[in-house]
Amino acid sequence: MTIGCALTLSGVSKTFSQGGNSVRAIDNIDLDVTPGEFLSVVGPSGCGKSTFLQIAAGLQSASGGSVTLDGNAVSGPPDGMVYLFQQYDRSLMPWRTVLRNVAFGLKDGGSRAERHAACMEYLNMVGLKDFADQYPWQLSGGMQQRVAIARALAAEPRILLLDEPFSSVDALTRSDLHQLVLRLWEERRFTAIMVTHDVDEAILLSDRIAVLSHRPSRIRESIPTDLPRPRDRITTPELPRFLELRHYLLETLTKRPEHA
Amino acid sequence: MPSRATNLSGYAAGILLPAAFLLLLEVLIGNGAINRALVPPPSAIWDELVYIISSGSLWQPMGQTLRLLATAYVAASLLAIGVGILMGRSRAIYNLFEPLLEVIRPLPKPALLPPLILFLGIGDPMKLVIVGLAVFFPVLINTIQGVTGVDPVLVNVARTFGQNPRQIALKVILPAALPFIFTGLRISLGLGLILVVVAEMLAGTGGIGYLIVDMQRTFQVTSMYAWLFILATLGFLLNFAFEQVEKRLLFWSRR
Repeated sequence: MTIGCALTLSGVSKTFSQGGNSVRAIDNIDLDVTPGEFLSVVGPSGCGKSTFLQIAAGLQSASGGSVTLDGNAVSGPPDGMVYLFQQYDRSLMPWRTVLRNVAFGLKDGGSRAERHAACMEYLNMVGLKDFADQYPWQLSGGMQQRVAIARALAAEPRILLLDEPFSSVDALTRSDLHQLVLRLWEERRFTAIMVTHDVDEAILLSDRIAVLSHRPSRIRESIPTDLPRPRDRITTPELPRFLELRHYLLETLTKRPEHA
Repeated sequence: MPSRATNLSGYAAGILLPAAFLLLLEVLIGNGAINRALVPPPSAIWDELVYIISSGSLWQPMGQTLRLLATAYVAASLLAIGVGILMGRSRAIYNLFEPLLEVIRPLPKPALLPPLILFLGIGDPMKLVIVGLAVFFPVLINTIQGVTGVDPVLVNVARTFGQNPRQIALKVILPAALPFIFTGLRISLGLGLILVVVAEMLAGTGGIGYLIVDMQRTFQVTSMYAWLFILATLGFLLNFAFEQVEKRLLFWSRR
């Protein structure tokens, strides 16, 4: 069973115009994300990964093509979709306590006590229930991203978009967050799309990895990971299939672009 | 930052200087070196102050001045914050209002007193308008600056959590811009007080500003100084209260 929803991009393209010149960032992306799937999108830096995700989220409009969520066209941030930003330190509200930041994700309704209890439960899931009354700027980077994750969960997303969510925390914290996201996703099975440039992270978390090409980006390949679940941050990367994927992806991504 | 201890001894030193000055004044006036008719001895001003307070004649003029200031300050500030948010969020609204505002903004507001008296007379409406004008612009400019500086990531966060534009304005834009808004509010508090006093002096029928001129014209010099002292104290207290509010609301701002 899954609470996830299906996201479809068909023929999506994006052209930026800068002072008379137009730059084609995304060229004709077709992508079907099935309900409850964890998809990662990897690609060389500057290939328009974040643009792609913002279009999928309805935060930017596409120049061509269409985005649909469970068959409905996406024209603005849709219900049931939550976006986890890379910049955790800029995505939390410094004037709200940790608890009240999480409450920002809650849907309207419910009594004060119910909302408080719900927030505490989400904070407990990310291991921060003792920090409810602190302010975000009193916490470390990894803890701040946990608050952002708790806030995202509080909205009960049917689809979660992750924009390089772990790229600005240290390696150990990142590993902790990987484990946390693995556990939460395996419990709840929302649909997830994560943009990353970290190959190991993509393999560890995803069911499928879409490889973007250099600009103008299109989907070069779509690779199922075929790794058993539940996964573990230590044992999963030791599997032969993991190493095989890692080898292949690194080779593909570090290849010089065809025209540069 | 100086430590608390040095701060306290610093205050003591800071009180010593004015105390010495007042003492010197008292002596110089006492032996006739300074003309009593221009500067009464500090002790006489103090007696007058005590009389003003104990006889109850403090409250009416102070109330009148404060009521005028508070009404104009609150109304103009709220309007400026509202307009500032709209101008900061919408390019079209900004372009619509900006030229008009650029014409009025650089004008020293007391210069508008003569035409305003012409249109509105010398009553409260004129004073409310002139004080309101002085208060409006610093709050507006700083609100626009604060609003345009709000991190787009934060706005996008709110959008992805399904917040509508009104909710985004209230829950994200307003609090995020608050440090800037308070900079404007602080400037405007000072300007507001100046304009209240100027308006009362020029077209007054009451209030502290009116009393100060009136006492001077009727040669009640001691009383004039006493009211000046009251005005200074009022300014100090208003500023102190403002700082307390600011500290409570902006504790999270590292600016």
